[in-house]
Amino acid sequence: MISERLHKIICSTLGLQEDEVEIKDDTLANQVPGWDSLNHVNVITAIEKDFAVRFKSIEVLKCKNVGDLQKLVDSKINK
Amino acid sequence: MINENTTLWKRWNELANKYPDKTAIIHWVAGEKPYIWTYSKLLEAANKFSHLVFEKGIKKGEVCAIIMRHNPFFYPLYLGISGIGALPAVLAYPNPRLHPDKFRQGLAGMSQRSGLNHIFTEKDLEPIISPFIESEHSTVKDLFFPLEWNLDSIDLAKNEDKLNSLRDEIKPTDALLLQHSSGTTGIQKPVVLSHQAILQHVNNLAKVLQLDETDKVATWLPLYHDMGLIGCLHTPLAFGIPIIQLDPFEWVIAPVILLEAIHQQKATFCWLPNFAYNIMADKIKDEDLEDISLESVKMFINCSEPVRAESHDKFSKRFLNYGFNPNALGASYAMAETTFAVTQTERNLRAKEIKVDRVKLSQGLVDFNNDSLNFRTCVSSGKIINGCSVKIVDENRVEVSGNLVGEIAVNSVSMFDGYRNYPEKTEAVLDSNGWYYTGDYGFIFENELFVIGRKKDIIIVAGKNIYPEDVEDIVSQVKNVFPGRVVAFGEDDPDLGTEQISVIAETNFTNVAELKKLKMDIIKTAMEVDINIHHVYLVPPRWLIKSSAGKPSRKANKERIMNDNDKQIWSEK
Repeated sequence: MISERLHKIICSTLGLQEDEVEIKDDTLANQVPGWDSLNHVNVITAIEKDFAVRFKSIEVLKCKNVGDLQKLVDSKINK
Repeated sequence: MINENTTLWKRWNELANKYPDKTAIIHWVAGEKPYIWTYSKLLEAANKFSHLVFEKGIKKGEVCAIIMRHNPFFYPLYLGISGIGALPAVLAYPNPRLHPDKFRQGLAGMSQRSGLNHIFTEKDLEPIISPFIESEHSTVKDLFFPLEWNLDSIDLAKNEDKLNSLRDEIKPTDALLLQHSSGTTGIQKPVVLSHQAILQHVNNLAKVLQLDETDKVATWLPLYHDMGLIGCLHTPLAFGIPIIQLDPFEWVIAPVILLEAIHQQKATFCWLPNFAYNIMADKIKDEDLEDISLESVKMFINCSEPVRAESHDKFSKRFLNYGFNPNALGASYAMAETTFAVTQTERNLRAKEIKVDRVKLSQGLVDFNNDSLNFRTCVSSGKIINGCSVKIVDENRVEVSGNLVGEIAVNSVSMFDGYRNYPEKTEAVLDSNGWYYTGDYGFIFENELFVIGRKKDIIIVAGKNIYPEDVEDIVSQVKNVFPGRVVAFGEDDPDLGTEQISVIAETNFTNVAELKKLKMDIIKTAMEVDINIHHVYLVPPRWLIKSSAGKPSRKANKERIMNDNDKQIWSEK
């Protein structure tokens, strides 16, 4: 399940109101308004900063949806 | 010099016979072992595809669209189609956000204009494409899934003689491929290029770049784009040097993979649009760069977007400690209509930068008064390459002299013959003496071309051309926007080193909650045609300035929105 915190970071980076966008585990980046390839790196950077974690490029590449991204964040926090 | 009086099929086979074990293509997937095609294996597989395509009844001159994701069997399929004299046309694989109806609409536009005869794609797209094939106005006869074909079950002896005589009939001046200019839903300009145009271009480009047999090209560029297809696939493949092809979708998520590929394969040349320099300089982390060296690189060639001095600066500073030579920062001016490059900077010489008075430049005058505080640093796209001519012309297409800015006109031995089935468009840009009027503005200084802007209103987002008309048409359809009272334009994003799409739309709404909802509706509607609108400005009725033709003026309204603190403008930045 997508945490409120992750949802908030994504919306804030893309300039969206939190109540405007539903983000679920199986949501793909390209289903979120404004989350295109150019903005992808900005979203990842914002998540890293907010959670104080670092992702390897290959780890991000393996994320197929927002649920995978949430799992990646969780795995880093729980380390 | 390679023989220009032959076909690409014969040239590829010549290389396969001469250097059977030489690497032709390294198909790169992040975190996996690369798939390597040697020339002999590539041509062997391509020949099998030729047999299969021939057996399906595909004829010389027919256009075969290829819509496929990053896959190692793309290359032999592409070669195999051209090996029977049919014309491969690489189309972009649809982004999942693109609405199927809009994708079919784009295909229908291309089908009518380009005369697409067959589509080669992946099984996943069957439900989306099939309804289009079955529609009344489709020119497409068949839908094929070549990745499902068994290449090992082919009886090569069956049609060998027929194929050989077919290949002998193909002339160097015959069409080799068809590519489309960028565009989204409607405006697509099909360009057909001959074998000879490509081969001449390979010779001319190889000469100026001083290519030799030790060079390697690393690229993530999509192959439906001329820089990817001609610069990074056809040029190295015909010259006889390896290509390291990355997946564009992987690169944009993890830009460091390009540098990993360059380091591991010791690549020497790399073509990039300007925004890629910013992305790599700003977004790649130090820890991802451990052990990476860019020492092998002879040239990074900035092309397809206006070249920015700041982008070169930040890239150079970022990678100086990783073996990068700042003199490897090159640039080129290129377009599909001239096969590819028209100008190119020299090896071992950083693209020249000059400071000119910004105000005078906007008035069409190049003034090198360095005392001016309001200057613009212009970056050279290099000298004119062999086989090409360039002139700067005024609005009457009369050549201007000296330090004057004007439209760039180009002549080339590798010039296209006109847009396919689009005589009115061809007539508008190509004159009877073979000069192609590019719609770009620039000037020539010390025999080098400086491109500074565009006559047309095209928005270039990360190297992709977006026609504002397409965006305006889509936004006009959104409920509560006044139809036709919309302007789309490119807004500079200095951080990304490219333009982003902005829209001004008139509406009756004044309530903030309604305005926010309308903004989302506009963004979501554009997403369905794979257009990402970055900024939405909502304005009251009759706010937009009209041109003399009675239509909202893009230039005037862009200037107004950029310079005006008008409280009537609603936007969320």
